[in-house]
Amino acid sequence: MDETQSDAPAPAPQPAPEPVGRREFLSNALRLGGGVLVFLAGAPALGEGPVAEGYDWTQHRYAYLIDTEKCIGCGSCVRACKAENGVPDGFFRTWVERYVVSPEASHVDSPKGGLDGFPPIQTPFTPTKSFFVPKMCNHCKETPCVQVCPVGASYRTQDGLVLVDAERCIGCGYCVQACPYGSRFLSPTTHTAEKCTWCYHRVTKGLKPACVEVCPTGTRQFGDMRREDDPVRLAIAHGRVSVLQPHLLTEPQCFYLGLDKEVR
Amino acid sequence: MESARHVFRVLFLLLVVVVIFSVGRTFLVPKSYGAYGPYRFDNVAEQAAIRPPQHGGSASCGACHAERLKAVAAGAHRRVGCEVCHAPLARHVQDGARIAAMPVDRSFTLCARCHRRIEGRPAAFPQIVLAQHQGGVEGTACIDCHAPHSPKL
Repeated sequence: MDETQSDAPAPAPQPAPEPVGRREFLSNALRLGGGVLVFLAGAPALGEGPVAEGYDWTQHRYAYLIDTEKCIGCGSCVRACKAENGVPDGFFRTWVERYVVSPEASHVDSPKGGLDGFPPIQTPFTPTKSFFVPKMCNHCKETPCVQVCPVGASYRTQDGLVLVDAERCIGCGYCVQACPYGSRFLSPTTHTAEKCTWCYHRVTKGLKPACVEVCPTGTRQFGDMRREDDPVRLAIAHGRVSVLQPHLLTEPQCFYLGLDKEVR
Repeated sequence: MESARHVFRVLFLLLVVVVIFSVGRTFLVPKSYGAYGPYRFDNVAEQAAIRPPQHGGSASCGACHAERLKAVAAGAHRRVGCEVCHAPLARHVQDGARIAAMPVDRSFTLCARCHRRIEGRPAAFPQIVLAQHQGGVEGTACIDCHAPHSPKL
């Protein structure tokens, strides 16, 4: 263009600026509008205060340790959980399973989740080993239940718990299906998802979860990974711990000692 | 300036949309939503205060029953919390005042939950087979012979 202009006998008058076409204007306006909406939607809300008085959730990150070799299947934890959290009849935030295993066959039972303990059992095979495995929400780091929640009712706190906001929960049950450990259920009274909270109302006051408090054998232990000298932190650091269904990469924060390969 | 009218019309429309959106969002989205992530942060505090703790732990029992606690702490049941066999503290004491008697279960069932020999228990854990135990009959109170707070085997 410049060359042709210089060759021209007289400098051409500056062409009027191209008027903005309707199509271009609208598309730009939409982009701008969209940008504004994204900005508004992403604007952080105000009003962040402490979770509880004298409790700073950034100073804790909890973990749970279950030594299956110590469990006697008394069910004290199940009863304590029910009493502490008012768990509805027939549902369990924590439960105990009994595995009776031989090389050829295995049998798993959990009568009423272990609420009344376990009765003697007769199996059609001769068991070579048998043991109890307490189970509960694993409070996974990469938890599927939070990912599937369509309304932001399930979330993971900074101190490492997965909680459900019953006010937001619409009871769709996606999280119940998403949990590979069967830790969630829809409450028959509130019709919202319910699960183990590691007794958040206790741990924020410096108490242990009810199940840990009552465990008579020390099978269940609760610890804080941010405390250097925490026994659970040391046990996880030094012991040979495993988690349930590690192939799912959910990074459970419930660690097991002496877990058998039969356990899923 | 015929085209400017169109520009202003569209800008006005955009402004209306933005205002409706922001007003709607203010009403529909809870205050603390998004403070730390895509959830209502206020719920964390609500969960922390959802109910008073029901279990107090054995130390809380010791506030009134110091002698008993000391006796238990010296025996084979030292690691068994009071609330395991009795009931959560909140059923007995609330706000420092006694509200009801603590349940005392003297039944065979209570002891059997831990000490009946069943498939699954660690071999080293003390367990009894009722038929081989003093010709025992189910239902007979174990505590006729064994002191529940500090049992001797």
